[in-house]
Amino acid sequence: MRLRLAAAFVLLATPVAANPPDIAAIVETHILPGYTALASDADALARAAAADCAPGNAELAVAYHEAFDAWVRVSHLRFGPSEADDRAFALAFWPDPRGSTPKALAALIKDQDAAVADPAAFSEVSVAARGFYALEFLLFDPQFAGGAAPGDTCALIKAVSIDIAANARSILEEWQGGYGALMSAPGNETYRTPNEAARQLFTSLATGLEFTAETRLGRPMGTFERPRPNRAEARRSGRSLRHVTLSLEATGELANLISGGDAAVAQAFDQALGRAAALDDPVFAGVADPQGRFRVEALKQRIDAIRQLLAEEIGPDLGIAAGFNALDGD
Amino acid sequence: MADRRAFLAGLLATGLAPKQGWADAGSPAYLSAGRKPDGTYALFGLGADAGIVFELPLPGRGHAAAAHPTRPEAVAFARRPGRFAIVLDCALGREKAHLAAPEGRHFYGHGAFSADGRLLFTTENDFEAGQGIVGVWAADEGYRRIAEFSSGGVGPHDIKLMPGGGALVIANGGIETHPETGRSKLNLPTMRSNLSYIGLDGRGIAQLQLDDGHRKNSIRHLAVAQDGTVAFAMQWQGDLASDLPLLGLHRISQPDAALMPEAGGRRLNGYLGSIAISDDGQAIAVTSPRGNLLQEYRRGLLAREARIADVCGVAMAQTGFMATSGTGRIALPNGGAVTHAIAWDNHLIRI
Repeated sequence: MRLRLAAAFVLLATPVAANPPDIAAIVETHILPGYTALASDADALARAAAADCAPGNAELAVAYHEAFDAWVRVSHLRFGPSEADDRAFALAFWPDPRGSTPKALAALIKDQDAAVADPAAFSEVSVAARGFYALEFLLFDPQFAGGAAPGDTCALIKAVSIDIAANARSILEEWQGGYGALMSAPGNETYRTPNEAARQLFTSLATGLEFTAETRLGRPMGTFERPRPNRAEARRSGRSLRHVTLSLEATGELANLISGGDAAVAQAFDQALGRAAALDDPVFAGVADPQGRFRVEALKQRIDAIRQLLAEEIGPDLGIAAGFNALDGD
Repeated sequence: MADRRAFLAGLLATGLAPKQGWADAGSPAYLSAGRKPDGTYALFGLGADAGIVFELPLPGRGHAAAAHPTRPEAVAFARRPGRFAIVLDCALGREKAHLAAPEGRHFYGHGAFSADGRLLFTTENDFEAGQGIVGVWAADEGYRRIAEFSSGGVGPHDIKLMPGGGALVIANGGIETHPETGRSKLNLPTMRSNLSYIGLDGRGIAQLQLDDGHRKNSIRHLAVAQDGTVAFAMQWQGDLASDLPLLGLHRISQPDAALMPEAGGRRLNGYLGSIAISDDGQAIAVTSPRGNLLQEYRRGLLAREARIADVCGVAMAQTGFMATSGTGRIALPNGGAVTHAIAWDNHLIRI
């Protein structure tokens, strides 16, 4: 208690970080390369779908996996261009607790919706029917991939892929066309001080790790009495664990840049990634039995340890309180 | 104190006790949950001078409390997604009743009594359906659950009784959660918050929804003035560079809310934790534990700001407002402060 009190007063007295992170370097080496890769891989996905949109097309599957990888690597950067026009939601509608994605896709097919053939109109349909998670249903779920209307599914695969590519391109263009400069050189209406930019980056790092721990892992884990393996992220295409690994790699890179190469932070990420590599349970099917669940839980604990380290050691340096109420979120 | 409590308990057992009032609990002016230095949690009664009048243990971290309008009874709610709430007899210093959320429901941490104190209303999550519920409990019948109705939205949080006692106002935060995934937000792409006015019988009376630009603004906490003004505090779920107002005022008869631009999201780090309003509706205080800021408004204008680390709980005092912090500090309306070795939790409840 006394320690916490002291930390809180120090924080108020020194609002400027002791070792401010190099924001321009983070934009240049972490954010822009991530969105460049997403735009390019999403473009390749749209081309593969245009060439052959049959769900069984092997080249299309490869393009899907590569573009989805590129998305997961930037999925923690939820601010600015990805939030504008709800682009990130349109790329990634998950979790989906009410099963809205298959319902929305089935409705588009049943209604023979004209939006499927019109990219401008498709960009206005429900976010539940757009993005990578919708595409996964179309390519890998028997309801669609092996369904009775292969022509309709094929057209929808094309529409979703084109929409993903357009969204990814818009995000990159906005980063390159001004937003990157606003963040790299604060003192503008969006980022008035370097500290505001650093806080935004730190928040996206913390939120990204929270999502990986609480949602990517927490959702399939469910409770001990009732594990929920069917809720694993992107399980239909076998990507659940892969998303955890990719997001840990990406957030680890950002954490390293924000913390100025802090050794404890790097070690905490290494330990979590080591756990993930040793898990050998690609869609967390193991959560259904106690031993498998224990192993997934151990991975989650490693990520929670990173979160705690960042909240208590790195955040306060940036003027982000780790207070009793500030962290409560209610 | 303990002796007096034992004496009172004895009197009660023999049926000789006079009717108990809040004076029998040491006349606390406020309630707040908090964490003690040994890591345990308790509900505290605080005097007008911020001194601790009583302390009753809680089994886990609390959130808000509801004070019975006449009897010295407080309902302490567990932190979301809690499955229990405890009714404490603050005069005798013991648990009077235990509220367990029914199957498929959990509490959100807030509740409100009817004006006569016979009914308690609690905000709850029907988590399989992802819909907000108001649970109704008969306070005079050992807090038996007697009914429930829709809260008018998703993720209800704060709930207050309107002046006159004929209606409730509920902050439906719009965010779907499921206890299996703790506090992770499941529906941000489609979230929609609202303010719902509902009769005590569950009948919908009016509803306020903010425009599309505020879609990611989650209405969480409420304060109601005697003239019917409802002040609401929000938490922003989007980009931190957004400066949308987090404080709004509404009256049930009006189609729109008045938003206060000086309560911009940037200064408050996108997050208001608590809100209080004076009886005449002219003075409002909001806290941001993430912005370490207390703001006070008079007649719709920002009148005062105070930087207080981890400030969150706030309640109206005789003059001005009293605010509590996770650091243990209690800021008094006269500018002074008292510090206890207690991490004060989110809300300070005026009795």
